[in-house]
Amino acid sequence: MSFIEVNNICKTFKVAQRKSGFKEAIKSFFKREYKYVKAIENISFSIEKGEIVGYIGPNGAGKSTTIKILSGILTPDSGTCKVNGIVPWKERKKYVKSIGVVFGQRSQLWWDIPAMDTFDLLKDVYDIEEEKYQKIKNELIKMLDIEDIVTIPVRQLSLGQRMRCEIVASLLHEPKILFLDEPTIGLDAVSKKIVRDFIKKINKEKKVTIILTTHDMADIEALAKRIVLIGKGKVLYDGSLLKLKNKYDTNKKIKIITNDKLTIKKKGVLSSKKIADGYEFVIDCKTLNVSDFLNIVTKNISIKDIEIDNESIDDIIVDLYKEYEI
Amino acid sequence: MKFYLSYFKLRFISGLQYRFAAITGVATQFFFGIVIIMVYLAFYESGDANTPMSLTELISYLWLNQIFYSLLTLEYKDREIIEMIKKGDLAYELARPKNIYFMWYFKILGQRLSMVFLRSIPFIAIILFLPAPYRLSLPASIIHFILFIITISIGIFLMTSIVAMYNVITLKTMDEKGITNIFAAVADLFSGGFVPTPFFPNFLQTIGNFLPFKYVCDLPFRIYSGNVTIQDGLFGIIIQIIWTIILVSLGYILTKKLLKRVVVQGG
Amino acid sequence: MKVYLKAISLHFKSAIEYRASFVTAFLSQIVVFFSYYFVILSLFNKFDNIKGFTLYEVLLCFAVIHFGYSFCEVFARGIDRFDKLIINGDFDRLLLRPKNVLLQVLCSDFDPIKLARFIQSLIVLVVALLNLNIEWTILKVLCLLFMLISSIVIFFSIFVISACYCFITIQGLEIRNLLMDGGKYMAQYPIGIFKKGFVIFFTVIIPYGLVNYYPLLYFTGKSNNILYMLAPIFVFLYLIPSIWLFNKGMKKYSSTGS
Repeated sequence: MSFIEVNNICKTFKVAQRKSGFKEAIKSFFKREYKYVKAIENISFSIEKGEIVGYIGPNGAGKSTTIKILSGILTPDSGTCKVNGIVPWKERKKYVKSIGVVFGQRSQLWWDIPAMDTFDLLKDVYDIEEEKYQKIKNELIKMLDIEDIVTIPVRQLSLGQRMRCEIVASLLHEPKILFLDEPTIGLDAVSKKIVRDFIKKINKEKKVTIILTTHDMADIEALAKRIVLIGKGKVLYDGSLLKLKNKYDTNKKIKIITNDKLTIKKKGVLSSKKIADGYEFVIDCKTLNVSDFLNIVTKNISIKDIEIDNESIDDIIVDLYKEYEI
Repeated sequence: MKFYLSYFKLRFISGLQYRFAAITGVATQFFFGIVIIMVYLAFYESGDANTPMSLTELISYLWLNQIFYSLLTLEYKDREIIEMIKKGDLAYELARPKNIYFMWYFKILGQRLSMVFLRSIPFIAIILFLPAPYRLSLPASIIHFILFIITISIGIFLMTSIVAMYNVITLKTMDEKGITNIFAAVADLFSGGFVPTPFFPNFLQTIGNFLPFKYVCDLPFRIYSGNVTIQDGLFGIIIQIIWTIILVSLGYILTKKLLKRVVVQGG
Repeated sequence: MKVYLKAISLHFKSAIEYRASFVTAFLSQIVVFFSYYFVILSLFNKFDNIKGFTLYEVLLCFAVIHFGYSFCEVFARGIDRFDKLIINGDFDRLLLRPKNVLLQVLCSDFDPIKLARFIQSLIVLVVALLNLNIEWTILKVLCLLFMLISSIVIFFSIFVISACYCFITIQGLEIRNLLMDGGKYMAQYPIGIFKKGFVIFFTVIIPYGLVNYYPLLYFTGKSNNILYMLAPIFVFLYLIPSIWLFNKGMKKYSSTGS
């Protein structure tokens, strides 16, 4: 039995439909027409303790529905879901003590007062003992380097500073699972790095299981070994990021810096182009692997420098979305 | 001028979009009208005190107050403009080659007229046929009616100049929840929005005479019901016009002056 | 309870962050509230009674109703503005916390500026009591307490019930306001002055009458019926369906996620 076990959950939403016009407005006041939208369909996966899983998919794929079900806010229509032996929506109070949630686009901090005050309130909300609370709080504050920030009213903080405080607020009660919903959205490069490093650290040191949804593939690359890709309410891929890359990342761009003249005609070379200080090739690794290709090159010319580019993870995801037509 | 009119038109049309709000608005006004009349009826039935208005005059007054509430109330501010001022988002407005005060003026006017257009016509139709004593009586005479049409038209412009003044106050104090609200509450009180001014204690009536607020709706309603003689009505209309001119010029000058300061500060 | 008190103190802290505008906003509430009883004062300037009720009896009625209403506006603001909580999605956040949801909704907002109304209604209450010739007995003290508490209870219940409405839809809230504000406006006066249909409606369906009218009759000695003195207690029954509805609505919310 895994730590998080999700089996065939489905969720359908009823959406009221209303045509424009005065008559329609009156009509819909008494009788509404509804449309049923399947948000998620037979989603299953399991997550082990201490894993970091990237939960990705395009907008409207059903990500937030799944997260809401996993965090106990929504009840699925069918299917089962157990986290740490608890059904999230059945024992809400008990369950939510074991989870932490960070919404990148929403704030749980009080806008007009320092974050420290919010922390103190959360202490009582989660019934944390004073001593334990002080210890954890200080530890987290130190780890995220926000000693000077937590005493300033939140409205005066930058987005990056605020996000760090948000994360502390979500971890005060030492949750076993942390849901991160686009935690780096809108952050600058430095803040992104701080947040990512921190997530890695608590995962490693405190064995916190992390489920991360994001549109920023750099987050995924930095953090998640495993991804679950969903689209149109279904799981499309569940497995390691590396495997996904190997499967789809077959084209490589190789740049060769040289003064010599070079022409290569071989199966597997998809294109070649003369650039200012050399040549640029795109090769298909399935028919011609990189070392063979380089062998041919070195036989013919002397190389000053080589650059090999992988197709970016973003491109892979876009290809995937295309493939599944989502 | 054409620009201001099209600004007005735009506001008017977008105001017409809120049909549902209009229906509930009429329901609210109707319900409150009945309830308020019941309170006054209970007073009138409790003994013949020295009443400053006859029951028919009073009931006409109270209904007119409900009918024209959304048009003439001094309690509501233009949230959109006030927000814009508070957030310092005036840049867009300033970037337009038109006078900002008159832009506000016609915006408010358009908004208010669209509301009353939707609400009052079906409303009047209902209350003219209510059973006595709740019925809205016809105007006291044809001359009273003509005067009423004139004075309420001027009243609309006077109302707009007062509501536009709230924007000016906000521009000056940047405190829309406090000072502007106090101003609005006092204006509303003296306009007769809560109690017809003849019911005011004497000293408050005297103060009210020197303020512009009662000329917005109290005067028109009393002219309609015949609580005011034709002579007094005509005199009132002259004061109405004077106040409108004073307030519009004051608003225009102050806005210009205050905006200069805003621009200098780089707001 | 501890959480609630702490949340309130934080809300207060937030509010006074903007000191100057807090003061003027407070003042403006005093002026606005004054205009409410200005109506009563002006009318009693011309009349000496309304269907046998004197100025101070009416003011007592007025004060009791506004005592409860403004109390809820200050301390139960979160429920009053429940539609906002649903719209901006903050309600989801509350479901993630291991505390009673209704309590958390209460904690989510607090409006210290409306204290201006609360304090003023207390002043009106005291003025009314000082000017009424009451032969004080223990039962009358109890009666007054019942009135005040039941006034809080009824508005709290109405707030909760209208919050439940938001679980279903957030459209047409104006109708809710019409029922609540219209009823509140009437209950500022002894409801006995209105037509019979209204009296029955506001005794049985939305029992404003039980809050101030019937106990007022006992309190001022207009009636000796002990049942009138106990009338406010029945208002407490109103809490049961409202909280039940709220829990029901919450379950529905988590299955529809509207």
